[in-house]
Amino acid sequence: MSRTIVLGILGAGIALGFLPWLGVPAFYESFLYLLFHWMILAVSWNILSGYTGYFSFGHGAFFGAGIYATAYLAGRAGWPFLATVPAAILVAALLGVVLGAIVFRVSSVRGELFALLTLAVTFVLATVILNTPVDGGPGIYLIGVDIPVLGPSQSASIYMMGLITATLTLLISYWIYASKFGTGLFAIHDDEDVAEVMGVPTYRFKLYALAISCGLAGLAGGIHALFVSYVTVSETFSITVPLSVVLMSILGGSRHWIGPAVGAVLITCLLYYFTSGESAVLGRAAVGFILVVVILFMPAGVLGLVSGWRHNKRVRVAAEAAASAAPVHAAEAAPVARLPARRHIVAEPLLQVRGLSKAFSGVKALNDVTLEVYKGEILGLIGPNGSGKSTFINVVSGHYKPTAGEILFEGQSLAGQDAHRFAQAGIARTYQIPRPFSHMSVLENVAMVGMFGGGGMSRAEALREAQTFIEFAGLSHRAHALPDDLNLHQRKFLELARALAARPKLLLLDEVLSGLTPGEINEAIEMIQRIRDRGTTIVFVEHVMRAVMALTDRIVVLNHGALIAQGDASAVMNEEAVKAAYLGKAHA
Amino acid sequence: MKSLKRIVALAAIAAGSLGFLAGPAQSQQGSPVRIGSTLALTGPLSATALVHKLTGEIYVEDLNKRGGLLGRKVEWIVKDDQSKPEVARTLYEQLVTSDKVDLLMGPYATGAILSAMGVAQRYNKILIHHTFGIPSLAKYDMHFPAWSLGPDPGTTVPNTLFDALAAAPKPPKTIAVVTSKFPSVHFMSLGAREVAKKRGLQEVLFLEWEFGNRDFGPIAARVKDAKPDLVFVGDIGLEGNMLLEAMKKLDYEPPLHFHLYPAPGPMATAPEGKNALSVTIFEEHAPYTNNPVAAKFVATYNERAKAAGFPYAKVEVQAAASFTAWQLLEAAVTATKSFDDRKLADWLKANQVPTIQGTLRFDRGNNFGDDLMRIKQVQGGNWVTVWPKAWAAPGASLKMQ
Repeated sequence: MSRTIVLGILGAGIALGFLPWLGVPAFYESFLYLLFHWMILAVSWNILSGYTGYFSFGHGAFFGAGIYATAYLAGRAGWPFLATVPAAILVAALLGVVLGAIVFRVSSVRGELFALLTLAVTFVLATVILNTPVDGGPGIYLIGVDIPVLGPSQSASIYMMGLITATLTLLISYWIYASKFGTGLFAIHDDEDVAEVMGVPTYRFKLYALAISCGLAGLAGGIHALFVSYVTVSETFSITVPLSVVLMSILGGSRHWIGPAVGAVLITCLLYYFTSGESAVLGRAAVGFILVVVILFMPAGVLGLVSGWRHNKRVRVAAEAAASAAPVHAAEAAPVARLPARRHIVAEPLLQVRGLSKAFSGVKALNDVTLEVYKGEILGLIGPNGSGKSTFINVVSGHYKPTAGEILFEGQSLAGQDAHRFAQAGIARTYQIPRPFSHMSVLENVAMVGMFGGGGMSRAEALREAQTFIEFAGLSHRAHALPDDLNLHQRKFLELARALAARPKLLLLDEVLSGLTPGEINEAIEMIQRIRDRGTTIVFVEHVMRAVMALTDRIVVLNHGALIAQGDASAVMNEEAVKAAYLGKAHA
Repeated sequence: MKSLKRIVALAAIAAGSLGFLAGPAQSQQGSPVRIGSTLALTGPLSATALVHKLTGEIYVEDLNKRGGLLGRKVEWIVKDDQSKPEVARTLYEQLVTSDKVDLLMGPYATGAILSAMGVAQRYNKILIHHTFGIPSLAKYDMHFPAWSLGPDPGTTVPNTLFDALAAAPKPPKTIAVVTSKFPSVHFMSLGAREVAKKRGLQEVLFLEWEFGNRDFGPIAARVKDAKPDLVFVGDIGLEGNMLLEAMKKLDYEPPLHFHLYPAPGPMATAPEGKNALSVTIFEEHAPYTNNPVAAKFVATYNERAKAAGFPYAKVEVQAAASFTAWQLLEAAVTATKSFDDRKLADWLKANQVPTIQGTLRFDRGNNFGDDLMRIKQVQGGNWVTVWPKAWAAPGASLKMQ
């Protein structure tokens, strides 16, 4: 977290706080209030939707909940305005949490379904408010409500409320962006399932993000009730609010903490620039045209464009530095570093799996598997295609919940728990087809796992540590590259670096060698040996038999989901059942 | 430090962009009188705003031809409030504190007018406005409504309607009240229920729908089943047309149907709109057009509205209220020989002003005066006033199905 940015936000807030006493026309207070208003709404929307990718069209509902909480309590129940503010925040946040608690449990409600569902919440809430004594139809009038004195005039007081809230919102947005929490949210955005397996408590994080997003929208609503002074359902719950905040965020850049604020400023200024009666229609058309052009040619928004430039520059500088340091190998591999070896322990079980089964619609992918993995060993898990190897990895990493059976890790039962508990207990995995977080650099991908895996490091600590693992994987020259810029070999090594950064006690390697050239396989084998030398226990799923024979201490063979053999590699490979599984039975 | 520099640069850009929003310098003696307004030139309310804009342009052009106000030309500054009350508020702040206009003219929709009224109140400006629908909400002592609803239209308007129907050949005995929950409509419908009860009409159905509803089939079916003599429809815009179309699909034609604020063109021209009743303050026929000012305005408006491609080029409530607002302002300035807001307001409170919709006064609750609402009916594809008889079109009387 940059102190300069925090001080910059606070400094800008304090500087703007002097405005009402400078004698500028009150219009500027009113106009700037509207800028702050849209900034708060757009930035708060972004905390859920931009950071996690859960695209909400329901921000109008949470904003409306805040408006009506204040309007009802101040306009009808006679509460002082300031007493209604916590209520506006709480009502909106509670609405979001109740919605999220249900919706986030259903993994299919993502993308457009989530957007539609949140939009539906807006209509439902509007209907409830319209048809109950909260409003009942005529709207709520707040002209008689006393405005707390925060400035030399009423306009100035409302301006100050907007300014304070906008400053607070930007600070919160930046704090989340630069924190471990924010990294978890960005991981959810890129691949929620992987994020959960890497240790991010996705359900909890989404709920927190939604609560903060809704609470800030409610706060903006509470203040806005006072600003508009006449609150009606049709105005409050119109589609304008969600549409505007989405546009502002996209225009400014939804992956940046200040992007939506920039979008809010641009759109609000553009709309005001064209309020002259002679150019109103033309102006609206021009605004629409500008937005279309920006979205077409700057899909990541204004801040995305800036970030893109900075990213490209960093990648170019790193590549040039690597080229000058090692011109022959720069394009493919940086010098490989060796980590200090750890003591190699064997014999005590680290993982115990008892009667483990997993069925998909009645088809048993794993059938009553019982095995143990000893501390410090490399256990090879082999079997023909469809034998259940990947399912085993998915169940033991928590990605799938088992249908039956027990998973004991260091004597603690993990079966049925969320995947992030597995990661936090010390289990890490790689994916057969690499699944890096696509919008995070190599460095961020590795650091993220350090934060949420078994290590549980702070963000700063994890970023420092990530350098070591990137160097270990020979990717230091690509530290700032995005995964899309890497070749398959580098992506596989990124998977390894990421798994290592979790400081796992047990590492599940799912076909890390597939798709690699013989030379690259040798490099990978060497690296796996070095990982084992550090004392990490490994379960190694692989089809490349020379690697299996070279690396494993023991092997387990699965066929049709059942364990058919286990023991020393060469002995097991000679068992009839294993030969039959691989080669089929002779029918002479 | 780089971040700090960036923030400073952003702040500078933001400050520069504000410069675009600043208006011209304060007017001086001898220069044009600058009157500032907002209208919903874009957004959902824009169709009606164009009526107000055209009316204002016609009035100001004519006023300037006549020498302007107190010998000074009038410059009308119109800004687009984008159909949003919060934008209306900010733009009125701009008109008063930055553009420093001499006088204000109100917008036309209830929400925007309330926003403008708040600003006018803070800066002690007189605000004459066009079509404000909920008199009980207007608390400012220097606001003046050009739409003569009276202080309690929820009671007086239904009474006018029931008076008209009582004088018809076959007065209704049963009533169905179906209404939108649009604020300025809903309270009128609730008022109609109370008045109907007091006058002995039996309510056979009461239904509400949310503003924005498009499915009127179930409501039409319920009305048909209730078999009322009169359907009081609390509608706004095209809601009434949609309800009548839904009734038509059920082969049902209500014996009498009243619509609160229908879109005038579509209701008059739709076949199912035949004999529809509504309220008005002005229609394009005698005796309104016996007033030469009104006749001249009607002729100019018709011509300009047709040229501008308006779907309904006749003068009715919106245009008449807008024209009236300008008449009130001119009358007050001329009488007081002043642009002082307080003097203008005091004069309007103390005097009656002849306008194209009748004589207006502002000495009753919340600065409202008489309820001048009349009853009109679609006859031969046109709206004609049928009640009270003094304002009825020549030879026109209320027709039943």
